[in-house]
Amino acid sequence: MQRYAFFLRKVGWGLGTVCFVLVLNFFLFRVLPGDPARAGVRDPRLSPQAQEAIRTRFGLDRPLINCLESLNPLRSGPCFTNPLDTQFFRYLANLFRGELGFSYQNSQPVAQILGERLGNTVLLLGAGQVLAILLGVALGTAAAWKADTRIDHAALVLSLLAWSLPTFWLGMVLLFWGSSLGLPIGGLRTPGLGAEGWARWVDLARHLVLPTLTQTLVFMAEYMLIMRSSLLEVLAQPYILTARAKGLGTFQILRDHALRNAALPLVTLVALNLGLTVAGAIQIEAVFSWPGLGLATFEAVTRRDYPLLQGVFLLLALGVVGANLAAELLYSCLDPRVREE
Amino acid sequence: MEGLSWRSLRHEGLALAGLCLLASALAVALLAPWLAPHAPGVPAGGVYAPPGAAHWLGTDDGGGDVLSNLLYGAQVSLLVGFTAAFISVIIGAGVGLVAGYTGGRTENALMRLTDVALVLPDLPLIIALVALTRPRLLNIILVIGLVGWAGTARLVRAQTLAVKQRALVLRARALGAGRARILLRHILPLIFPLIVVNAVLVVSLAILNESTLSFLGLADPRVVSWGQMLNLAFTRGAMSAGAWWSLVAPGLGIVWVVLGCTLLGQGLEQLLGPRRQGHHLALTPPAPGPVLPPEPDAPLLRVRDLRIEFGGPPVARVVDGVGFDLRHGEALGLVGESGCGKSTLLLSLLRLLPAGGRIAAGRVEFGGRDLARMGEAELNQVRWKGISLVFQGAMNALNPVRPVGDQVEEALRRHLPELDAAGRRRRAGELFELVGLASSRRGEYPHQYSGGMRQRAVIALALACQPRILCADEPTTALDAVVQAQILELLDQLRRELGLGVILVSHDLGAVAQLCDRVLVMYGGTLVEEAGAPALFERPRHPYTQALLQSLPDLSQPGRPLAAIPGAPPRPGALPPGCCFAPRCGVALVRCHTETPRLRALQQGAAACHLLEGER
Repeated sequence: MQRYAFFLRKVGWGLGTVCFVLVLNFFLFRVLPGDPARAGVRDPRLSPQAQEAIRTRFGLDRPLINCLESLNPLRSGPCFTNPLDTQFFRYLANLFRGELGFSYQNSQPVAQILGERLGNTVLLLGAGQVLAILLGVALGTAAAWKADTRIDHAALVLSLLAWSLPTFWLGMVLLFWGSSLGLPIGGLRTPGLGAEGWARWVDLARHLVLPTLTQTLVFMAEYMLIMRSSLLEVLAQPYILTARAKGLGTFQILRDHALRNAALPLVTLVALNLGLTVAGAIQIEAVFSWPGLGLATFEAVTRRDYPLLQGVFLLLALGVVGANLAAELLYSCLDPRVREE
Repeated sequence: MEGLSWRSLRHEGLALAGLCLLASALAVALLAPWLAPHAPGVPAGGVYAPPGAAHWLGTDDGGGDVLSNLLYGAQVSLLVGFTAAFISVIIGAGVGLVAGYTGGRTENALMRLTDVALVLPDLPLIIALVALTRPRLLNIILVIGLVGWAGTARLVRAQTLAVKQRALVLRARALGAGRARILLRHILPLIFPLIVVNAVLVVSLAILNESTLSFLGLADPRVVSWGQMLNLAFTRGAMSAGAWWSLVAPGLGIVWVVLGCTLLGQGLEQLLGPRRQGHHLALTPPAPGPVLPPEPDAPLLRVRDLRIEFGGPPVARVVDGVGFDLRHGEALGLVGESGCGKSTLLLSLLRLLPAGGRIAAGRVEFGGRDLARMGEAELNQVRWKGISLVFQGAMNALNPVRPVGDQVEEALRRHLPELDAAGRRRRAGELFELVGLASSRRGEYPHQYSGGMRQRAVIALALACQPRILCADEPTTALDAVVQAQILELLDQLRRELGLGVILVSHDLGAVAQLCDRVLVMYGGTLVEEAGAPALFERPRHPYTQALLQSLPDLSQPGRPLAAIPGAPPRPGALPPGCCFAPRCGVALVRCHTETPRLRALQQGAAACHLLEGER
């Protein structure tokens, strides 16, 4: 029972945050000077038909939202409007149908662009994060086990240095170096390479090398630092002494008693870090022209393509909120204590 | 606090290095108009001219002098970094302080808001806001500042909650000081160091965010910034022109400042943070000296002249010259104040000393072998199977994320390989029943047990592999009297039924009197008295033992005043000369302060005291 209540509370909390993001997204892009819909109507790149389509779709002649007065049932002043006829409602309805407007660039639906690019970002983030976590955990474990030795100090200094590197700059430096080695300098695959099957995958892998390397270096440092301090704390716990007194070997203790306990904060961190991960993806994709959501952000900014920017922002924010929720639920499965707090 | 004083800063290399990096960057930013050979952002030479005498760091895509732009760029980076971080920290600290101090509904609302802000991805939000409000320096500062407060708020709130309960703050509240006054005068000073450390981190994040924003094309076009230099170089062909200098220089500028913040923050955190304890994976090395042949007709356990040292130089001698025998089925009590080396002595038997500890001399003879000089792998066979331990504070002696029964079965799997899975389960169930726990609760986690149950589980765990000796360190502290009696009863029963040798370390002299046959009294790492339990409690010989017993209530002598021993036991490493109890002893002679007494046999037992010389 307690367990279900916990899950329900967490899911409810996640949904609440999603609502907040939806509302924030609406007002962010309408109240601030850059209002995408209005700007879109005036945008000279759009045909009159497209402008008219935008006007009706977003209900630009309607109020943003009912004013407070209209909430009073006894009065129907001039600002009373059918709540279903406001911009806010249309925005929600459009969202519900998966319609996010049209990109200025080529009048493609934003939802379609995002759909094409989401997979690429997930591929890039997945490869880099998995490598970063594996290497970070391994290095952090080594550093904690050999605490206060030269290995530990070297790992600490290198991690602090790596943490201080701006992701996009590290990407550029690696790009400079990688291109001299003959690695592809950007994109997802070599244009015009019509190869099928194996050669296609090799080509994709070659394109993945530099962006993944960049991401791994940046995040490995942080995971290493967290793993190190978390493991040091666990290793000072009495139950580790119990395990040693039981006659267990060092590796057995690390595997069965220390690593799982120490990895718990890491799960939370990976989740909390999703915002940073997304930030890293934006920079890496911009540098390596990787056609994902990050590059979409970059393009939307440089081309003042507000509908696209709004769509990317919404998708990234929802993705991070959702992944956070997933991590919290995962955490509660890993740590029996959390459920009963 | 005192941790932030200049002296300790000087000793902390990381913090100092970081401070130097930041100070030099600040100097460069302030002196840029005088240092820079050219005005920022204007053509001064050819396009992408390589570094040379005219342009030390070459020129950029518009023929601008990279060195000049780099120097002026420091201004923007530091200005945005520090002002934005200032906004973030002020908001975050304010929210955290108010939430932590007021509690209730205000706290709930503020922390929910903080949670939402923490979950929203920073950079996309900053990009959207700056893109919509036009990239101007002021907008960039405000946006970065307003977005980055949540982390600080959470940290400050947690710290405020902790500080709120301190005596100083409670006193101010009791005296009726106003809320604002308490917050600003009493709480803020206490958490200020933490806020400073956090602020350093926030500055580095703000600088990274600013440079990323500029790199993505959202730089204020009216000033030169490092991110913008990189953006222009990257988008205008520096890569293909091979103009590495226009890519490397601004990047190193950012690394310079951010690394300064990171090092300073890390250094300060180490200065202010609690000192880390050593970890339990450190192996205690074998004792020096040759392995001697076992003594004939040795008892179950024989400890000879054991000396345990820590650290050095100077070396702290925690246990010195301790020796005793333990026979089959015998219960030995080990008493003395905290810090007398009792727990260390127990841990040293199995070479489980904390990091930095070592057995400097002496022998631990068990089963014909010297445990102090055994190889680690062999010792792992003796651990738990030969000698097992019940640790002080059973709260944390069990792994919180594994079921209790699982941890018992783990010991069985390690030492009784002949048992299969079903056999292990059955045996674990028996052990649970033996200590009075329902075997159906094997699958539960330690936090689901009460304190008494956990203590019983720890004893079940210690008995799992049928050890020949059980060492129990304060097994009944923190338990109520009924449970205490039950557990002592259980130990006594096991000792009689299984012939188990028991060593009981306890502050509870009543428990020792109830369970033990013989008692060792330790003080300052040495044995001061040893006697059979009845004799010791009836006629203590050493002044320390006498004082120890005087400090206990006695139901047979109601009305006798309790006498606490004045002073505190000596710290290992700072032992007084002569008898180490002499400074606190009511009957010490001049000689006691200069000459160390040896343990001398008396008619019953033995004691180390000059006053007992000549007595029997």
